[in-house]
Amino acid sequence: MNIKEKLKILANSAKYDASCSSSGSKRDRGGVGNTNISGICHSFASDGRCISLLKILLTNACIFDCKYCPNRKSNNIKRAIFTKEEICELTMNFYKRNYIEGLFLSSGIIKNPDYTTNLLIEAITDLRRKYKFNGYIHVKAIPGTSEILLKKLGALVDRMSANIELPTQNGLKLLAPNKDENKVTKIMSYVKKNHSKAYVPAGQSTQMIIGATKETDLDILNKSDKMYKVYNLKRVFYSAYVPVNKDNLLPTLASPPLKRENRLYQVDWLLRFYKFKINDLVDEKNPNLNLLIDPKITWALRNLEKFPKEINTCSFDELLQIPGVGVKGAKKIYSSRKYFKITFKDLKNMNIVLKRAKYFILCNGKYYTSEAMFKKEIIEKCLMLEDLKEKRQNIKQLCLFND
Amino acid sequence: MIKDNKIYLYNNNFVSFLYLCILLIKNKIIPRNIKEIDYAPGLFDETCLLDLIEDYKIIDYLIKNIGNNNFNVVFKVFLSNKEDKEILIYKFILYSLKYKEKTIYMKNIKEILECIKISKYVVSENHKFKGFTRFKKYDNEIYYAEINPTNNILYLLSLHFKKRLNTDYWIIKDVNRKIYSIFDKKNFYIINEENFKIKNFKLSEEESNFENLWKEFYKTIGITERKNDRCRMNFMPKKYWKYILEMSDEV
Repeated sequence: MNIKEKLKILANSAKYDASCSSSGSKRDRGGVGNTNISGICHSFASDGRCISLLKILLTNACIFDCKYCPNRKSNNIKRAIFTKEEICELTMNFYKRNYIEGLFLSSGIIKNPDYTTNLLIEAITDLRRKYKFNGYIHVKAIPGTSEILLKKLGALVDRMSANIELPTQNGLKLLAPNKDENKVTKIMSYVKKNHSKAYVPAGQSTQMIIGATKETDLDILNKSDKMYKVYNLKRVFYSAYVPVNKDNLLPTLASPPLKRENRLYQVDWLLRFYKFKINDLVDEKNPNLNLLIDPKITWALRNLEKFPKEINTCSFDELLQIPGVGVKGAKKIYSSRKYFKITFKDLKNMNIVLKRAKYFILCNGKYYTSEAMFKKEIIEKCLMLEDLKEKRQNIKQLCLFND
Repeated sequence: MIKDNKIYLYNNNFVSFLYLCILLIKNKIIPRNIKEIDYAPGLFDETCLLDLIEDYKIIDYLIKNIGNNNFNVVFKVFLSNKEDKEILIYKFILYSLKYKEKTIYMKNIKEILECIKISKYVVSENHKFKGFTRFKKYDNEIYYAEINPTNNILYLLSLHFKKRLNTDYWIIKDVNRKIYSIFDKKNFYIINEENFKIKNFKLSEEESNFENLWKEFYKTIGITERKNDRCRMNFMPKKYWKYILEMSDEV
């Protein structure tokens, strides 16, 4: 099998992993290359996702039979395995041409976890020592690997992570009978315990598949919250379930639940950067997020007595609660209003998008439109209308492109 | 300050421009405009060329007076392709002298707001090209790339690649400005077309092989069920595609 065919098979098998970040690590001395603390996107794939790493599997052969996975044992597909030289040559040559920021290496499990991990270690050791590669490496740890090998592997890479895959043990038992959540969390604990500048400096992340099992958004968010807190994760990635296999245990979907994935990411941000709590957004009574309206607006409409906020006097935390105002926007407003009184025009000039914000704020005591409009039903309607208008425009624009 | 109806000229470089600004400030002049020396004046324009000293010390002098943050804005706006950027920067310097480190928060002042926006645009375009620049390897072991940025980011971009690709010779050409950055494994030099020609460069034997592998990888990594052209276009505008290897076939 030639290298082009291998690359096709082993990139194709790796593409469902959402993680492609290359940030958080500071390698700047010795060897070929460095890393950039804020990460660099080198290209964008046809699905709009960033490409920063050469994302490949070492092999797509696997002893496991996880129902959702394209590489499961029972699938009759072409299998391939990279030699360590091939991995090193591809990485170095792509890196020097500035196609990539580094390597993302994962693998199916062959023989047993330790055997597979040893292969990963050999390839990455060569890349670091023989080829003197000093760029970013993200490796997926194989659940069940012994601690001695985790120690070796983590010392070579910027990020090491293990995927939790499904938000509950039951889901995992159903779809990934060979996988054991404890084996995944064991890796996370180990990485957390040993994390330092020399060991997995960019920290760890994990990934959950959305929509393959019946869990609610509340289940999913509770799980991520726990992961962030217990294991100090940098990121939890959500990956809308793409049906690649047919199985009685798997749902049949017309298309991947992308909107749901989008809403979960929005909440993920609200929890990490906007000081929201899970129960502000979902609870036992409403365990799923509203797909039509974004979670911040949903919250604001439910708590309308807290609005409108006066832009010139409310606290920083309150600025963060305004729909349409992001962390950067809040900082801009907060640092500027010390020097002058902010008007709606100033907000526009500062690139604060008023489309949503205008319903929830006052500037020097003034509401954007008539204050009689400040009613839940009216705001809801206006926002829905704007959404509709935008979508219609999108459709028109798309048609123009096709012509 | 006195308003002046003349157009003042400078020698097409940053240092000369700064020296002119300082002279104007010392003479308390707010000119109608400031332009490069090869500017073709209109029928009723009165131009003025002062004796300008080109000395890098002027940079330290300015930083001492307006602070690092404001100087950064000045430099980035100077690199932009904004029309009439010179007079805009001059006004920004005047505000910087007045408001010092508070300047960047005074976003209700038109010139300050505009300068900050332009400077951000330059920084973000530079960041994009840290990713979008594509090198080809030639048989003389030189890596060569062509880029087409809107702003003059070659200097900023070279700072990045000086650290990253420090073990190889490389050349980057800004095709819009016809200038080259040449790296000799130690420093980079920015040279214009008249002083530099690329002759008899041949691609290395392995080049087409790796280009094909990369294109194959690019095609494979996108998930068909999630296809989203709009999103891709937002992040990777079409104007850059011509020099991005994996997109160049689609232009």
